[in-house]
Amino acid sequence: MNERLGKVVLHVEGLSKVYGEGPTRLEALKPTTFNAMAGEVVAILGPSGSGKSTLLTIAGLINPPTAGSLTLNGKLAIKDGQPVANLSTLRRQELGYVFQRSNLIPFLNGEENVRLALEIDGVSHRESRERARTLLDSLGMGGRMKAMPSKLSGGEQQRVAIARAMIHQPSVVLADEPTAALDSSRGRQVMELFRDSAHEHGAAVLVVTHDHRTLDLVDRVLEMEDGVLAEKDVAARTA
Amino acid sequence: MMDLAIRDIRRDLGRFVLTAAGLGMLMSVVLAMTGIYNGMVVDATVLPDTYGGDLWVVQRDTQGPFAESSRVPSLLVDRIRAVPGVERTRGYMTLSVQQQLPDGETLRFTLAGLSWPDDLGNNLPLEQGRALRQPHYELVVDNALGLPLGTALLLGRDQYTVVGITSGMVSSSGDPLVFASVSDALRIQNDLANEALRLERESRVSRVKRSPYGRDPANLARAGTQGTLPATAPPPVTAVLVDVAPGHDVQKVKASLSQWSDISVYTIDEERELLVKGVIDRARRQIGLFRILLVVISAIVMGLIVYTMTVDKMLSLSLLKLLGAKRRVILRLILEESLLLGLFAYLVALLIGEVAFDMFPRRVLVHDMDRLALLAVVAGISVAAGLVGLRKALSANPNEVLAS
Repeated sequence: MNERLGKVVLHVEGLSKVYGEGPTRLEALKPTTFNAMAGEVVAILGPSGSGKSTLLTIAGLINPPTAGSLTLNGKLAIKDGQPVANLSTLRRQELGYVFQRSNLIPFLNGEENVRLALEIDGVSHRESRERARTLLDSLGMGGRMKAMPSKLSGGEQQRVAIARAMIHQPSVVLADEPTAALDSSRGRQVMELFRDSAHEHGAAVLVVTHDHRTLDLVDRVLEMEDGVLAEKDVAARTA
Repeated sequence: MMDLAIRDIRRDLGRFVLTAAGLGMLMSVVLAMTGIYNGMVVDATVLPDTYGGDLWVVQRDTQGPFAESSRVPSLLVDRIRAVPGVERTRGYMTLSVQQQLPDGETLRFTLAGLSWPDDLGNNLPLEQGRALRQPHYELVVDNALGLPLGTALLLGRDQYTVVGITSGMVSSSGDPLVFASVSDALRIQNDLANEALRLERESRVSRVKRSPYGRDPANLARAGTQGTLPATAPPPVTAVLVDVAPGHDVQKVKASLSQWSDISVYTIDEERELLVKGVIDRARRQIGLFRILLVVISAIVMGLIVYTMTVDKMLSLSLLKLLGAKRRVILRLILEESLLLGLFAYLVALLIGEVAFDMFPRRVLVHDMDRLALLAVVAGISVAAGLVGLRKALSANPNEVLAS
């Protein structure tokens, strides 16, 4: 049992994003407050242009917000819209990313793609190799970890991408439509992996998705519309 | 941290090797240009280095015999020998010869005279045969001519036999050198047809008859019959080489000879300088400019290649940034690839040099310093090209990963 489970690892308060000024002003994300706890999988639903990706890039410390604060695993990253910590270090240590396409580095094999996340943080070759092999084994990739990305199927690539996002035991994993390029059974397998990994590694997983078929595998559903985030009724989430 | 550059190269090794080979060929031309220049200097100084001599005496107010033409009477050899401090004098002459062989092949060479009996060619770099043993009808030839020992060659009216073969002996114009005695060289140079000799003799008699001296029949009778007048004057040589006796100051002998009004005197070092600065200076500058141009072209080509390689992996670089990679990780990836490309290209250039430069018709001489200098240039170009790629790489935006 991971000691982080149940703790708030992502705290967002009054986070907003405004693009442009005057007549071109667009409030892509209205002031938003929510928490995510270690071990839970949170799905974010919403139509295109509703602000899901904006929220994800701000939570992922890729784009700065216009206002609000963000705390990752107890570390204040953004206050009043301004970074107050080394965002690059926080990204390296506290965040994991999974994308619609696996976006594996094409010149590294599966194992090396996973090890990379550790080695850029200064972990030794030997330790990174052992941890990557263990994790890939647990994800059913033991026999395919030396294959180059071009030789892996879409599902296999996504497993490697999940392993890369989890290997350094981040507090938050952000996934942007990770099942969009997969058929329904492989999509479901990927969501199951997220759920299991979130519990095992004590990470909060935020999944932006359009795929309602896998919502029974998530713990909470948030719905985004016109830049406003709202909790969706649990009973209605699979409707 | 794993070596990302090696892994990136390994993914498309064929492309990397081909690119580096192309760059290497460009570098090999830079190396060849350097070698050709060095070869020109060595070729140009082969003759003065072979003949030696402390002083070179040439026609007054000329910079002969290499920088410009010079003619001095052959009797000057004996006049200078009488000067105090002079140990030995030798006549020096060269001429270009083009000979059509019986099989139709054209033989082109520079014929240089050896001053028999003082100089038999014993200091020539012989690889086969021997130096001259008799004053006439023997030749020592360079192996570039491809003539075996014992070959008989008809030059002028006489047949000459190849008795020795040298290596690496070429003139400043790149023609192989052939050595004969000075008297044979003069004979070959001044070979005239019988009719030309008869006409020249008649012309001389006619000139004598027109002069006040010739109008007196008694004088003509004293001079002998028309047939006994020599047809031509003794042929001149191009220079006289002077060896100063041990214990005597070369500069003093030079100063003494310089007082003569019909000659100019140079030391061997001055002669070499005249040769290098005068004869091959223009070629040297031309080759120098060509080398600069090639280096600039190589730098531009390499910069473009590294830039393209960087653009090809912008998504990977964006991902590295998103994962929180430090700048030095990206810097190492780009610079290492650039340096490896340059190093591989350099090795290809060296390999081409080893294999191909010996096949060039003229001497290509590459020194270790030239190789080191090229390595430094390649390193400089690689770093510059790497910086071009790095500038692009650092502009990678993590957002690109989300947009892909």
